[in-house]
Amino acid sequence: MYTWIPLNSTADLAGLGTQISAEYDPQNIVKKLGAGLSSAVKAVLVERNYVDKDYRSTYYNFYAKKGQSYRADCVRLHFFDETVTFDAKALRLACRDQQLKDHYFGYIVLRPTGMATIGRSVLSPDIRTGASGFVITADHKVHLLGYKLIIRGFPSMDQHIDISVCAHAACWSILRHYSESYSIYREFLTHDITLMAQQFNPGGLVPSKGLEVSHAERVFQEAGTFPVHVARAHQNDPSFYRQLHAYVESGFPLFAAMHSQGHAIAVVGYEWRTPLNDPVTQMRYAWDEVKSIVVVDDNFLPYRSVPVQGGTPYSAEDIDAFIVALPEKIFYPADAVDRLAPTLFELGGLLGLPPKDDTIIRYFITTGSALRGFIRDRESEFDPKLIETVMTLPFAQFVWIVEFATGPDWAKGQISARAILDATASLREIMPFWLFHSRTKALVFDRSTVGADVNGIRALALSGMEKTAFTRWDQNLRPTQGK
Amino acid sequence: MDDNKKQEDKGVFDLIEGLTPVDPGGLADFKQAMTQEVIPEIVKVVEERRLLAAESRHWQLKC
Repeated sequence: MYTWIPLNSTADLAGLGTQISAEYDPQNIVKKLGAGLSSAVKAVLVERNYVDKDYRSTYYNFYAKKGQSYRADCVRLHFFDETVTFDAKALRLACRDQQLKDHYFGYIVLRPTGMATIGRSVLSPDIRTGASGFVITADHKVHLLGYKLIIRGFPSMDQHIDISVCAHAACWSILRHYSESYSIYREFLTHDITLMAQQFNPGGLVPSKGLEVSHAERVFQEAGTFPVHVARAHQNDPSFYRQLHAYVESGFPLFAAMHSQGHAIAVVGYEWRTPLNDPVTQMRYAWDEVKSIVVVDDNFLPYRSVPVQGGTPYSAEDIDAFIVALPEKIFYPADAVDRLAPTLFELGGLLGLPPKDDTIIRYFITTGSALRGFIRDRESEFDPKLIETVMTLPFAQFVWIVEFATGPDWAKGQISARAILDATASLREIMPFWLFHSRTKALVFDRSTVGADVNGIRALALSGMEKTAFTRWDQNLRPTQGK
Repeated sequence: MDDNKKQEDKGVFDLIEGLTPVDPGGLADFKQAMTQEVIPEIVKVVEERRLLAAESRHWQLKC
């Protein structure tokens, strides 16, 4: 039932071809793994007769009804580094430091469907050839041979082709990430997703005829999220891409549609370009500093790096609509933050902001409790009065953060000022703020009284922060550490 | 008990030390920009996005 395949070179992957029967399409798998996994993977454990809940959901509802006989079970491939050994007789895995989970790179389930056989998979971004940058991940539990392993990654699978398409796969990946990350979201299996897309059970092969963007929106709504659907106004719509980046920075994977290609992917990360030494000469946004985005595309292994422009078969700028599955209570849209952010320089006189033309603006969503945690972890960067303020303000659950950095700040991973906006504010509010501070001054807003105007604002002089780090908040996503 | 109640009844500005009033003149340019330009633009752009989203809902995705 278990076979251990040491990988001393890429050629050793061919051994998989002799260990897996034709219904799992081993030749194509060997080719994909050879091109897509780094040489840090030094062994594969083949687990046969694996009962995969996602495949079973499609087996019970589709494959079992066909004249062609399909197996009910799958094969699961587990990937390890060079320190792990396998005792085939005792069925025991071992490594020198006894910390098996530190040497585990994740798994791929193979479905017995003859084509598009890569099913539910969670791989570490660190072993994906070409992957780099920051990636949205969650811990996934793996039970293998009595060991409880943890793999930190983003779920992925190939589309089934005959009963599901790219859009189903993207919805499934995002919702599986949600169910592993947040206890309020339940798990949805592949077949559930195909049903959620429709008002009634379409039956048979209808899901393979494709999905409209509205169907994906419906899937996220049925899953208990509050999907926000953002479409690009025209080819040159930088605000659209700034918002796309802001949601990913916030830790929300995006369902992204490319109309020209009829294709859907999940956007799960991004990579900064190398900071330029040239001074910033006009106001820029964090999106302008992005080199590439990281996507989960069901035609490839996960964590594909896609350049902003000029990529093949597509680039980030081919995305012309996205859906972000938000929790409730985020009422102030990214469009409003995008338009409001440059106007904050009108408060520059009260706070001592850097000149507008020298500044890079970055915005994202987080929770009030995450903000307090961030400040607590970096107490030495802040005036104790500011810490007291952050701990005292009665934030709503979600806040928008707007950060202002000069060119030199950006190169050092620092900022000059940070505004904290109420994510539950209404569109027409003049002052949708909780707090806005630089290194020397803060404006504190009391949101307990509607219409308080200037009576609801106080100033706070800050000291001791002139030369502290004042770190840019890059903590939401996991940095890839290529192996 | 009474002390606790008093603490709960305090406004957020009573709980933070070192706060000072803000000169309304320092906010004037911001408020003017918000009421005359930014909020109308936000309302407009949000409505435009809603219409664009309605169009894109019918795009077919099947690759």
